[in-house]
Amino acid sequence: MASDLFSEYDTEGFFDEVFEATGAPRPHYAGLLKRLSYFSAEELARRERRRDAAFRNQGITFTVYGEDEGIERTFPMDLMPRVITAAEWAHIEAGLEQRVTVLNQFLDDLYVGERAAIRDGVIPWWVVTSSDGFSREAFGIPMPRGARCLVAGIDLVRDGEGTYRVLEDNLRSPSGISYVVENRVAMTRLLPQMFTDTPVRPVDHYGRSLLGALNRVAPAAGGDDPTVVVLTPGVFNSAYFEHVFLAAHMGVELVEGRDLVVDDQVVYMRTTKGLKRVDVIYRRIDDAFLDPVVFRADSSLGVPGLMSAARVGSVTIVNAVGNGVADDKAVYAYVPELIRYYSGEEPILPNVETYLLWDPDQRAAVLDRLDQLVIKPVAEAGGYGITIGPAASEQDLEKCRRDILSDPRNWIAQEVVSLSRHPTLIGDHAEGRHVDLRPFVLTSDVVEVIPGGLTRVAMKKGSLVVNSSQGGGSKDTWVLARTRDELEADVVASSVNVESGSTEVSA
Amino acid sequence: MLARDAENLFWAGRYLERAEDTARLLDVTYHGLLEANVAEQRAAWLSALEAVGLSEAFAATDRQVTAANVSEFLVRDSENPGSIVSAVEAARENVRTVRESLSTECWEAINSFCLSMRSRNLEIEIEQQPHELYGFIRRQCQTVAGVASETLARDDGWRFLRLGWNLERAEWTCRLLRVRQVHLEAPGFHEWVGTLRSASALEAYRRTSRGSMDPADVIEFLLLSDSFPRSVFFAIRSAETSLRELCAGDEPSQPLRLVGRLRAELEFADPRELLSGDFEGELIGIERAIRGVCTAVGVQYFINIHDVDLHMLQLFPGAGVE
Repeated sequence: MASDLFSEYDTEGFFDEVFEATGAPRPHYAGLLKRLSYFSAEELARRERRRDAAFRNQGITFTVYGEDEGIERTFPMDLMPRVITAAEWAHIEAGLEQRVTVLNQFLDDLYVGERAAIRDGVIPWWVVTSSDGFSREAFGIPMPRGARCLVAGIDLVRDGEGTYRVLEDNLRSPSGISYVVENRVAMTRLLPQMFTDTPVRPVDHYGRSLLGALNRVAPAAGGDDPTVVVLTPGVFNSAYFEHVFLAAHMGVELVEGRDLVVDDQVVYMRTTKGLKRVDVIYRRIDDAFLDPVVFRADSSLGVPGLMSAARVGSVTIVNAVGNGVADDKAVYAYVPELIRYYSGEEPILPNVETYLLWDPDQRAAVLDRLDQLVIKPVAEAGGYGITIGPAASEQDLEKCRRDILSDPRNWIAQEVVSLSRHPTLIGDHAEGRHVDLRPFVLTSDVVEVIPGGLTRVAMKKGSLVVNSSQGGGSKDTWVLARTRDELEADVVASSVNVESGSTEVSA
Repeated sequence: MLARDAENLFWAGRYLERAEDTARLLDVTYHGLLEANVAEQRAAWLSALEAVGLSEAFAATDRQVTAANVSEFLVRDSENPGSIVSAVEAARENVRTVRESLSTECWEAINSFCLSMRSRNLEIEIEQQPHELYGFIRRQCQTVAGVASETLARDDGWRFLRLGWNLERAEWTCRLLRVRQVHLEAPGFHEWVGTLRSASALEAYRRTSRGSMDPADVIEFLLLSDSFPRSVFFAIRSAETSLRELCAGDEPSQPLRLVGRLRAELEFADPRELLSGDFEGELIGIERAIRGVCTAVGVQYFINIHDVDLHMLQLFPGAGVE
């Protein structure tokens, strides 16, 4: 065993992804731990330096706002990957498919349907209309196949018992998929030996899958070979690298608002050969900046007239406008009910226990024990504005209390989830750090979950905040194709059923 | 391709060529002057500033014309948009916005070049090991050119990159000749060797000229050679090829017409006739023609006048565009 790295390792009572409470490694990490033990701490440090140089030279960076006018930073990838068994993944995949399908049904029902969930009292109308993400402009805008969140990123955490729970839904422009793919590429180059005993499912087909899904939601006018573009706010956006990645992996143009023009409710891009019609826009710009005619008039990032083109269905905007209503953190509390309502099934992946603060009873109970809960603003993403009760100062809690009382609709409270931890290289040894998981789900006529997702790591000791904008790191995430045992079981089974000659399957 | 991407690639090409040319000029000027007296040094540095077209910008900084000051200004002065550091940063910024249409290797070559420029101690290197520094810059530029050539598809993106590269090169070589042609009357062997070195042309020239250092031969070589890739004619002919391919099958575009006329003028020029007349005036005319091609490229491909029209009319019905 890798005695050096793990000699001092202590799970400290948390659910640990690698070690059981007894300290024994979980079986699906055995191969990885064995391979890791062949490396000295110095050798791993050398590979960490190679990793940093590679990420910098490739410009795989994101921009941090507020510090010295936007610094390009790399998103540090820990050299020890996270492993998910085939069985665990099957459970996650089924839960995500169920959840995202329902969220799409809810959005389509809300914006172009009969609003059945509201009519039947599953979720109050005022909760929907008071959401920042709710958009009157989205009413009546058609979305082929109802795929309003064609790309979804669902944040999962594991609690103290190891149960996967949904922490939040990201249905607008979830980012991170580029790191999923680039982390895998980096891992295969830095530590190819680690893959030897572990059958890992690939992730680099994301671009093809996404382009396929985008093609399938193109308007009829796009014909058999629709023109798809990625719309970016520009090079100064924090996720610009990802926008480049998406365009490059799909082989389509990366456009800015100024490259597009709307004429007679048709969208074109300006090329060196004049105007070319655009059928599908995968936009990575917030709703508010999409079209200055309809939304913020001061936005120079968007395209005047874009919404009118979308309304007549001559162009498809992905993800659809108005999705923010469904990833509002207060609406989140209603998702389990929405799942029961639309699918008739019990939710496969449970929520984290959530309290709605406009309800006087729930509010009173929350204010009584503010120091034991997590308080989140309903419309923010990226970990901004969160107060973690147990870690907050008196002043923070007092400010939080005032904020809640002045606008209860704007806040939710959640039980603190004792996030699972994963050994992470810190200097010359491994320490437990809290992790979450953001898998990516593509919806068109089928739902496809990319095996794995972005495992984010709170690099600061004890911290629960994993967002990249808050100094988090990441891990390559391995979904196992099948465990060796399962593979051997298959071989045994097939050798019973099949004539000899075709049974020589090497494990 | 997207007009904006085309423009960014065009400029990336120009900036990379500019960085390389400036580094080579500095290298030659610095090392050619080690045995010269103060007055000669001053004259040579002024001539270098003129060759890169930055004499006025330098004068505006109120600095003395010394090797250290001019080198500083041309290498690492980020206030000077014509410095090597500015050019490399600008090339990276241009390429960064078109990364999706380049190869990863090509982007990496430019990005790591830029990052290593940032991490080097240029101030010390200019003073203590200028030859290593200029050699490094030249090699990095050539690496980018090589990686681009070996990994990019021959599509419109490639054509715009090469077009910017070649037009910058043609203009630069032309300006170098204009600055140096004052030596025409008083032939100085060392000046002409330096001029050839500044264009990486010394060995190629020697093989064609068999030892002559006649100014007329040097000028003919740098201006009109049809085999040396840094001659004005060669660069213009390459630019013509790019422009011809860009309008394959269509009517010749305005920039193609302009560059074609210039190419023909150079191709069929008589060097003796050129040199016996107003040679400086001829060179100024060629520089002007090259800038005219650049402007025409912008109008034809980047600005998209027609679209602006349409856009404006749609947004503000009744408003016309001048």
